[in-house]
Amino acid sequence: MTDATFSGAVPRQSLYAPDEGMRRRNAAEARFRLYGLIAVGIGLVALVLLLSSVLLNGASSFRQASLLLDVPLDAAVLDKAGDRDPEKMKRVTTIGYGKLLDTALKEMIASKGIVIEGLTDKDVSDMISKEAAALVRNRVLAHPDLVGQTVSFKVLANGRIDGYLKGRVSMESAARDSNVSPNQLRLADALREEGVLIKAFNWLFITAPDASELRPEAAGLGVAILGSAYMMIIVLVLSLPIGVAASVYLEEFAPKNRWTDLIEVNISNLAAVPSIVFGILGLAVFINFAGLPQSAPVVGGLVLTLMTLPTIIIATRAALKAVPPSIREAALGVGASKMQSILHHVLPLAMPGILTGAIIGLAQALGETAPLLLIGMVAFVRDYPGAPPEGFFDPASALPVQVYNWTQRADPAFVERASGAIIVLLIFLLIMNAVAIVLRRKFERRW
Amino acid sequence: MDDIRLVEKTVNAAGVKIAARGVQVYYGETHAIKDVDVDIADRTVTAFIGPSGCGKSTFLRCLNRMNDTIPICRVEGKITIDGEDIYDKRVDPVQLRAKVGMVFQKPNPFPKSIYDNVAYGPKIHGLNRNKAELDEIVETSLRKAALWNEAKDRLSEPGTGLSGGQQQRLCIARAIATSPEVLLMDEPCSALDPIATAQVEELIDELRSQFSVVIVTHSMQQAARVSQRTAFFHLGNLVEYGETSQIFTNPSDPRTESYITGRIG
Repeated sequence: MTDATFSGAVPRQSLYAPDEGMRRRNAAEARFRLYGLIAVGIGLVALVLLLSSVLLNGASSFRQASLLLDVPLDAAVLDKAGDRDPEKMKRVTTIGYGKLLDTALKEMIASKGIVIEGLTDKDVSDMISKEAAALVRNRVLAHPDLVGQTVSFKVLANGRIDGYLKGRVSMESAARDSNVSPNQLRLADALREEGVLIKAFNWLFITAPDASELRPEAAGLGVAILGSAYMMIIVLVLSLPIGVAASVYLEEFAPKNRWTDLIEVNISNLAAVPSIVFGILGLAVFINFAGLPQSAPVVGGLVLTLMTLPTIIIATRAALKAVPPSIREAALGVGASKMQSILHHVLPLAMPGILTGAIIGLAQALGETAPLLLIGMVAFVRDYPGAPPEGFFDPASALPVQVYNWTQRADPAFVERASGAIIVLLIFLLIMNAVAIVLRRKFERRW
Repeated sequence: MDDIRLVEKTVNAAGVKIAARGVQVYYGETHAIKDVDVDIADRTVTAFIGPSGCGKSTFLRCLNRMNDTIPICRVEGKITIDGEDIYDKRVDPVQLRAKVGMVFQKPNPFPKSIYDNVAYGPKIHGLNRNKAELDEIVETSLRKAALWNEAKDRLSEPGTGLSGGQQQRLCIARAIATSPEVLLMDEPCSALDPIATAQVEELIDELRSQFSVVIVTHSMQQAARVSQRTAFFHLGNLVEYGETSQIFTNPSDPRTESYITGRIG
């Protein structure tokens, strides 16, 4: 027997000289690794392109052109009664304040000795954003004792002037543009030299509500951020307990029969349902049937909860399945009840997985646009929603919807702001992921 | 040496702690345990031996109703502890398991500190009135499990960080912390090296003074070393049950003889 194998053996080959088959195998192995590398590379390139385009377009939206003006708050104009009563002062509209601002700017131009050929009064007053008068008015109504003094204000410049500072508007385009004249741009250059026109960090972009088509410089994310935050609170508060309770029941208590199989299949199917379908459902059930208000975060939150639940349930069940059965046996073995074994041992061990699922679900919900369009969150909302819980029923916007809204508008200044809004959205996602990582670290244990 | 121990062991036979009559266990269609009658004495180590799949672990798990957790498992017959039927409707398996502790084949400490591992049982059963009492229970249990000297300085470290043998002794400490009356051990040494095995065996012998210990083992040497009574299972039947010395020296059933001489199994 041994003799036979020896005589039939191939001549001994050196270990230093790999044979043909080995070489082919190694080549295939190298190719296999290369495919993976290429795939990772494509992903990275896409990510870099995405982030850089958003950052390049959007970073500038956080800095806004503003004018530093000394505004004499003339008591004769603002408070005819003279008793500084805000109720009576409210009769003076933004037009009155606008005139004050115009005068202040004109005086500023004169005092700096700026002379520009053919500059009209309208040119000067259009340098200032239409929103500026309203902001000054609000400030004065909040502090009536300012009346009579000359106060330094930092007021928003017109969107086109802002665009000029950011390179979006040029002399050539201004000549063709009915909203801005080359003279205004020359004035802007002169004011910039004098330090009157500055570019500063623009908190209003984060805090202010949306503004109309004609005032891109004043448009902000305040209402959208509040709306999104409210919805996330609702989604978290509803979907996490419901999702975890459903998963625990299905995984630990439910008998394994045809009904539970059916439920399982349907939960997986729900996770794959297009989000706009949930929007239609929300419109039909929450608004038309239940009579909840349109554009309200509560409806958005409920719809997004329905959308998030399958994700959380699937992730939680996977996390529960991954807990070794020996831990359950150990708990039952020392006389823990089923509930105790789940609450004391199984859930804490499954926590990292549950949190990952919850955060993935929330992140999805935060970025979701389609269902919100259907329940009216696309509306133009100028008023901040109130404090929760009543505020959940006030109209609000949402970050992704705001992005969608702004990209629809004609003025290129809104494209910049849409990119800025995406940056804010991404920052929110990063914060949520960071929280998830911290929580996971805290719960992660070896076993 | 071995002979001396065997003689000494026979003296200690006490009253009946667990009595099983006509126990049948089914896993779905499979008839896993066939009509087993057995009396397990108090303060005695009883070993269940037999080839793989003979039902010894299944029967062990009937004694604290761990089989309840397997949906397709069905138990018939009568098992009593101190004359009380543990499958009676009035018996809560949770309460039963506090009285009948269990140590598993693979060490399975909770991913918590050593202290919390031992304190968990007493805590959920409300055996302690305050922290000091709990400390005491933890210390006594760890001492009984011969782990105190190694663990006393690292009580707050995770139990999963111990070596395999220490983990198994921690599991024993956890099981005896609830002061059970019976301790079930399902191949407690199969994942341990010989030194850890020797420590655990020594421990089992000491535990005999307080508990009735039932141990399932693959190793016949182990059964001979630690037990006073031995039951031999084969294909779901209890083939022979009696004094360990008699089973190993003079088995009455030919199947037992073939197994212990290594011809089957």
